[in-house]
Amino acid sequence: MSAPVVTRGLTKRFHGGQVAVDAVDLEVPAGSVYGFLGPNGSGKTTTIRMLLGLIAPTSGEVELLGEPMPKAHLRVLPRVGALVEGPAFYPFWTGQANLLRFDAADRTADPKTRKARAGEALERVGLSNAAGKKVRAYSLGMRQRLAIAVALMQRRELLVLDEPTNGLDPQGTREVRHLIRDLAGDGTTVFTSTHLLAEVGQVCTHAAIMNRGKLLRQSTVADLRAELRPRLVVRTPDLGAAAETLQGLGVTELKTTEETVEGDPGELPIEKFAAALVAADVRIHGFGLERPSLEDTFVALTGEGFDVAE
Amino acid sequence: MSPSEAPAEATEVTEVTRVTATRPSAGRHTVALFISELRLVFGRARTQVGLGVLAAVPLLIGIAIKLSGNSGGAEGFIGQVAGNGLFLIVASLGLSLPFFLPTAVTVISGESLAGEASLGTLRNLLTAPAGRSRLLAAKMVALTVFCLVATMTIWVSGLIVGFILFPVGDVLLLSGSTVSLGEGLLRALVIALVISLSLLGLAAIGLFVSSLTSTPLAAMAATFGTFIVLGIMTAIPQLHAIHPWLLMYRWQSFADVLRDPPYWHEIGRNLLLQAGYVAVFYTAAWARITSRDIT
Amino acid sequence: MGVAQRSRRWLVPVATVAVVAGVGTLGPVVADASPKLPSITAQDLLAKVQTAKVDGLSGTVRSEADLGLPAIPGMAPGSRELTDLLSGQHTARVAFASPDKARVSLIDNQAEQLWTTDGTSAWAYDSSKREATKLTLPAHKTAKPEKALPKAYDPQAVAKQFLDAIDPTTKVQVSGTEKVAGRDAYKLRLVPKTDKTTVGSVTLAIDSKTWVPLDVTVMPRTGNDPAVELGFTSVSFDVPAASSFTFTPPKGVKVTDQKVPAAREHPESAPPNRGKPVKPGKPGAERPDKPTVIGTGWDSVAMIRGANAAGLASNPAAGPLAQLLAKAPTVQGSWGRGKVLTTKMVSALITDDGRVFVGLVTLDTLQAAAAKAPR
Ligand SMILES: Nc1ncnc2c1ncn2[C@@H]1O[C@H](COP(=O)(O)OP(=O)(O)O)[C@@H](O)[C@H]1O
Ligand SMILES: [Mg+2]
Repeated sequence: MSAPVVTRGLTKRFHGGQVAVDAVDLEVPAGSVYGFLGPNGSGKTTTIRMLLGLIAPTSGEVELLGEPMPKAHLRVLPRVGALVEGPAFYPFWTGQANLLRFDAADRTADPKTRKARAGEALERVGLSNAAGKKVRAYSLGMRQRLAIAVALMQRRELLVLDEPTNGLDPQGTREVRHLIRDLAGDGTTVFTSTHLLAEVGQVCTHAAIMNRGKLLRQSTVADLRAELRPRLVVRTPDLGAAAETLQGLGVTELKTTEETVEGDPGELPIEKFAAALVAADVRIHGFGLERPSLEDTFVALTGEGFDVAE
Repeated sequence: MSPSEAPAEATEVTEVTRVTATRPSAGRHTVALFISELRLVFGRARTQVGLGVLAAVPLLIGIAIKLSGNSGGAEGFIGQVAGNGLFLIVASLGLSLPFFLPTAVTVISGESLAGEASLGTLRNLLTAPAGRSRLLAAKMVALTVFCLVATMTIWVSGLIVGFILFPVGDVLLLSGSTVSLGEGLLRALVIALVISLSLLGLAAIGLFVSSLTSTPLAAMAATFGTFIVLGIMTAIPQLHAIHPWLLMYRWQSFADVLRDPPYWHEIGRNLLLQAGYVAVFYTAAWARITSRDIT
Repeated sequence: MGVAQRSRRWLVPVATVAVVAGVGTLGPVVADASPKLPSITAQDLLAKVQTAKVDGLSGTVRSEADLGLPAIPGMAPGSRELTDLLSGQHTARVAFASPDKARVSLIDNQAEQLWTTDGTSAWAYDSSKREATKLTLPAHKTAKPEKALPKAYDPQAVAKQFLDAIDPTTKVQVSGTEKVAGRDAYKLRLVPKTDKTTVGSVTLAIDSKTWVPLDVTVMPRTGNDPAVELGFTSVSFDVPAASSFTFTPPKGVKVTDQKVPAAREHPESAPPNRGKPVKPGKPGAERPDKPTVIGTGWDSVAMIRGANAAGLASNPAAGPLAQLLAKAPTVQGSWGRGKVLTTKMVSALITDDGRVFVGLVTLDTLQAAAAKAPR
C-alpha cells in the first residue's frame, strides 16, 4: 500500500506575497501516527488545507490515499476524516443535528445508519449527554470533541486532525490521545498537527517538524531522539575539578551550570568517567547519561526557541 | 476499496461490530444534502420570522380595508377586495412583490454561502465531501423552494383572511368576464407561482454575491443595493433602451393571468429574462465557488 | 489546480452572458429571417391587398410610436390619454368577424380596456374603474357600427389609409420578404418623392396567403428608429366564435347607457396623424372644429380653427400643454404670427388668431400652407 499522504514541492503563496508553505515534501507511512509539529504560524493548517483540497497550492502536488488531490476529492475524501482549524458548527443546531448534516453532505454515507453512527461517534468522544444541546451552549472543549466526532462518523482510512487537543482540559487531552492510539490500533493512519512537543512524544510514531513554512525534518520519533547523542551529566559541588577531569578524558561541548557539569561523552564507556572523577577526588552527588528532549531536537534543528514564527 | 468489495471487507474485519463498518456504494444518496439544505433554511428562526411577516401582509391589508369600510372605490386589485375576498390574495401578492418578497429573498440568498463561510461550516461540508458544484446546486434549489414557500405563504394567508373577512364569489377578470371561484383560486395560485419564479433572478444574484464574501451581512447589503439600483434604473425613462434587460422590468406582468384568456406573452418574456439572470449569475457563482480558497 | 486553470472557469459565466445577450438581441432576428416567396410586382401586390377579404381574424397587435415628442412636464401617469396617443408601446388583442363584429382589448399594466360589438350593441369596459358603457347602435345602415370601434388597431384599416394616399408623389416597391407573426409576408415599401415631408418611408408587411397587411412601419426622414410600428405579433384567420363579441356586465360593475346618434361625424378625411395608433372612442375629446386639409399627398397640412393659443400660452397655470406652448419659439410670416412645435415627425403651428396647422411636414412647408390657408 502506498503512503496515505504524499506531497511533492507543495507551496502556498498567499495574495499578500507571503509564502506560508514552502516546497514541502511529506510522506506519511500507512498505519503511522504522524505528528506534524511546528510553532503557531509555521504553515501546518495551510498544508492541511491543501491536503484536503480546500485551497489550491501555488505549486506542487498532493496525493491522498494514492490519488491526486484535489482532482479525486469526491473519491478520496469519504475515506478521510478531517478536522481543520478548530471546530466549526451551526450554533443554532444541536450537536447531533450538526453531525447529521455533515454526514448528509457525503453522498456515500448511508442515511439508514446515520442516526446510529452519530450516536456512536458522540459516545466515543464523550458527548452523549450533550447530543441534544444546541452547539451555542457548548464549551470550546465540547466543540473540539464534536469536531472529532464528525471525523469519526464513518470508518476512515486516514484521519487528518489539525490540533485536535486545542482547548481541551488535561482530562480531555488524555482522552483524545487515547482515542488516537485506539484508532491507530484499528489500522487507521492518523496525521495530527500540533504545536505541543509533548504530544508528539506521547502518541506519535513519526514526526515532521515545520518552521516558517519549511519542512525541517521528517522521520520516526525514535530516530529523532537517537540522533542527538546522550549527554553525560555530573552533579557535584566541585565544578572546576570535574570539568578539568572530563576535559582530560576528551569530553567535548562542556557546559557548567550551578550544580552540574555536562558534555558529550564521545565513545568512551561511561564507567571510565566515574572512575576518573573518583580518582580526582570530585564529590559526586549524581552521575549519568541524559537523553535529549524533542525540544532540544527542535532547538538543534532551528537554532532557535519554540516560539511563534513571524 | 471499491464499492463492490466493501461489504465483504467489513465482515472480515473481526473487531468490527459497529455500523460504521458498512459502506454503501458511492453516488446513491445524492438527495440527502438537498434535504439537509432545506432543513437549514427553513429550520432557522430567521426564516420563520420572515415567513410570518409575509403571512401578516394579507392580514394587515384585510384589516385595514375592513376598518376603513371601503366598498371598492380604490383602483386595481385592492379596490376589489371588499367585494370579493379572493382578491386579497392577488392584492397581497402584488403589494409584497416590490419590497417584502425581494427583502426576504435577499436575506436568505445573501446568507447562503457567506453564512457557511463565516461559520466555518463550509470547510466541513467540503471535506465531507459535498462537492462544490453539488453544494451550490443544493443552495440554489433551497432558494427556489424558499421563493415558492414565500409566495405560497401569502397565498394561503390571503385565502384564510380573505374568506374570513370578506364575501367571496365568482371572480371578475380584467377583461370584464367572470370565472368561478375555483378557477379564480387556481389563477391566484398560478400568480403565486409566476411571482416566485420572478424572484429567481434576484436569488441567483444573491447567491453569486454570497459566494464572493465570508460576511453574510455584506452579501445581503450588496444584493439589496443591486436590487435598489436596478429599480432606480427601471424608473429612469432615458434608459428605456436597456429597460427590457432589467431584472424587474416585467415583474408586474403577473396580472396577465387574470385576463380572458390569460395573456402569456409578457409573463413568458419575464420568465425568460429571469432564466437569463439565473444562468449568468449561477455560472458566475459556480466559477467563484469552485476556484475559491476556503480558509 | 493551477491559477490559470482556475481563472479559466470564469469563461463559463462570460460565455453565458454572451449567449444570453445573443439570444435576447439576435434571437428574434434569426427567427424572423426572410422567407423564400415567389416574386411579385408592386402593382400586383397592391391589387391583391385591395381585394383582400377575410371573414374573420383574431390576434395580438403591438404598436410602438416614437414621434420624438417632448415629455410633457407635470403629466401624471394616470392621465394617460395624451401621452398614450403620441408615444409608447401598446398591445391589444383584436378579433373581427364580418360583417360587423369586432372586439379590441387594450392590454394595460394590470388593467384592460375593452371595446366590443356584436352588431346590435357595443360595449366599452374599463377594468381600472370597473365601469362599463353600453352603446346602443342606430338601426339604419349608413352608420356602420364598426365605425364606433377603434380602427387604429386594425392594420388593415391603417394600411388602407396609406394606400389611399398613394399617388404620383410616392415611389412604391416590393422590398423583400419577412416573417410577421409566424407568417410569410411581402414587404411593400412606399417612399415619398417630396422632401417636404418628415416621413422617410412607410413599409407594409403583407401576408402572402390572405393579402392582409400584418405590419406597418413608418420611418422618419432622419434617424434609424421607426417613428411608428404597428403590427400583429400573432394572428389567426379562423373566424372567432360569435360569443367572443358579446359582453355581459358582471356583478358590481357600474353600467352607463349611451345612445350613439345616427349622424355622428367621424373625422375620417385625412387625419393629420394617420398611421399612428389613435385611441378612439374617447368622449369629450371632440375637436373644436372640423379640420380643413390644405394640399394633397405627403405634404398635406390640416388646419383646425378655434384654438386659443395666445390665451393658453400667456396663462401657464392653464396646464402642462400651456407650459409647453409658453416655451415654444414664435415665428412670423405673411400669414401672421404664431408658436411652433416641432418633433422628428410632426410639426404644428398655432397662430395667434387661433388656427392650428398640423402635418407630417417640415416647418417651411407648414408656413407655406399657412400662407395659402383661408383666414
Ligand atoms: N488566508 C490567508 N491569507 C494570508 N496569509 C495567511 C492566510 N492563512 C494563513 N496565512 C499565513 O500563513 C502562515 C501560516 O499559517 P498557518 O498555516 O495557519 O499556520 P499554523 O497552522 O502552523 O499555525 C501564517 O503566517 C499566516 O499568517
Ligand atoms: Mg493552525
